[in-house]
Amino acid sequence: MSSSNLRKALTQIWAFVFKNWIIAKRNVFSLFEILFWPVVGFFSVGLLTSFLELDPNKTGFILVGIIAMSVIQVCQIDVAYVLLYDLWSKSLKHTFIAPVHSFQLVLGSWLIGVIRSFFVFLLLSIFSALAFGLDLLRPGIDPLVLFLLGLFLTAASVGMSVCILVLLFGYMADVAAWSLSSLMALVCGIYYPVFILPFPLPEVAQAIPLTYFLAYFRSFYGFDEGFKNVLEWGFGLAGIYVVAEAFLFKVVLQRARKTGVLIKLSE
Amino acid sequence: MALAIKAEGISKTFRSGWWKKREKEALKGIDLQVEEREIFGILGPNGAGKTTLMSILCTLLLPDRGNVYVLGMDGLQDEYRIRRRVNVVSGNANFLWSLTVRENLHYYGMLYGLAGKEREKKVEALIDLFKLGEYRNIPFDELSTGMKQRLSLAKSLINDPQVLFLDEPTVGLDPDVSIRIREEILSIHRERGMTVLVTTHNMKEAETLCGRIAFLKEGKILTTGTAEALKRMVRIGDLIRIEFSGVISEDELVHADGVINYTISDHLCEIVADDGEKRLGNLIALLARGGAQIEKVTIGQTDLEDVFVEFAKSTDSDMGLCV
Repeated sequence: MSSSNLRKALTQIWAFVFKNWIIAKRNVFSLFEILFWPVVGFFSVGLLTSFLELDPNKTGFILVGIIAMSVIQVCQIDVAYVLLYDLWSKSLKHTFIAPVHSFQLVLGSWLIGVIRSFFVFLLLSIFSALAFGLDLLRPGIDPLVLFLLGLFLTAASVGMSVCILVLLFGYMADVAAWSLSSLMALVCGIYYPVFILPFPLPEVAQAIPLTYFLAYFRSFYGFDEGFKNVLEWGFGLAGIYVVAEAFLFKVVLQRARKTGVLIKLSE
Repeated sequence: MALAIKAEGISKTFRSGWWKKREKEALKGIDLQVEEREIFGILGPNGAGKTTLMSILCTLLLPDRGNVYVLGMDGLQDEYRIRRRVNVVSGNANFLWSLTVRENLHYYGMLYGLAGKEREKKVEALIDLFKLGEYRNIPFDELSTGMKQRLSLAKSLINDPQVLFLDEPTVGLDPDVSIRIREEILSIHRERGMTVLVTTHNMKEAETLCGRIAFLKEGKILTTGTAEALKRMVRIGDLIRIEFSGVISEDELVHADGVINYTISDHLCEIVADDGEKRLGNLIALLARGGAQIEKVTIGQTDLEDVFVEFAKSTDSDMGLCV
């Protein structure tokens, strides 16, 4: 690829960062997304741990879960927004008449998602240290970076799932942007270890990368959920899902060109 | 002249419904050729398949059968290369609601890979060209319908397209705004010399903008030609009203060149001729020779609306026309 083509490709990716950023900063609801809901959720659960007089390790277990979930929710919604904003504005066809590839949509929106969710992480880290004495730097910088990277990759795959569902089912699928991550929270053991789940949910949990990333980070707080090679499994599965969904996104986009969904969703 | 757009045997059927499958055959074997730098119109009633055809030509929709070539590139294989060189304007313009005029243009500029100062310059030039200066910082959803359509036109030029697709570009606009938008389209075409394909069910629009027009009905192109040729084809002539004294012999009119129909009543003769202005001199001379004193003559010219009505009400076999 020549340097001029590379610059064009990067500019196209930046277009989605630009779009999501401008819309987010104009939208009061997006402030709620990164301030209100994560903070309210965090304190509700944190105060519950105080009421139950849980020991610091158990408190850490639960707070790590709620922080991870908040990071994923904010990051995945940005990936989903790349289509949802166009869907709600009925401008989908103008995006797809431009010579952009689906990976550029995902990458651009994921970047802004990473920025916004990292802000959420910082905020909740400060609150967890101040209010509940949980030090998220205790495992060290490298484990923290790996944990966050795992969360961001998981978010990318959840966001892409929403995009795929939107292209398949149109408006009725936008609810997936809020429900998929909550469903994942139930299965991956945000508030509890996955082994307490009834069959077959523990097996389902093992197919979701978040389960391994949580197990990895919680291991620094004295919890061993019995998983081996958690990072390999986590990043391996996350990588497979991201690549598979990127491919599926392309296939579904092609299908949308066949069925006329791109036109219908722009009317 | 080279072809900008070539479509061969395009067919498209839409399928819907999960439980009870429904099918709608939107296009039935469309062949179309549009020359470079031409403004070509696709005219037809609602539901004729105009938007479907345009969506296929601009790569947003895939046909079930047939081939599409845009600027010599295969529309089914080379969609990304084609998209760099075409753009679309649709009626009922919709862009990202909360982005301002300027931000929308920047966003779409980025989608075409325009970076930095190049994009800034292009956006400012388009804002100037379409007189959007005072609206530059107004969010899209606060613009009037006319301004939204201007933004749509401005956005469509962000990549200097060689082929511009206009899908009902003035639908829903006030008449004065429609006229201005048409003038802007003609002006852009004059200055930039791109190929323009317009779909419309507005006859005035087709007549004003287009060099050639294809009439699309129920997924088939019934005929293609200039507005004048279409008028001649359906044999709806111009109405010549002649007030006279004396007598008019019907025999003279029956055999007169260009006369499609006529009625004669007290001192008023109404003749339908294929080209009123051209035939008038001969007809007056003919009637005068027969003993009629001509007192007053008026010509009412046929417009494309009459052609549209004729095509829209007739079945394919009635028309007996081909492309």
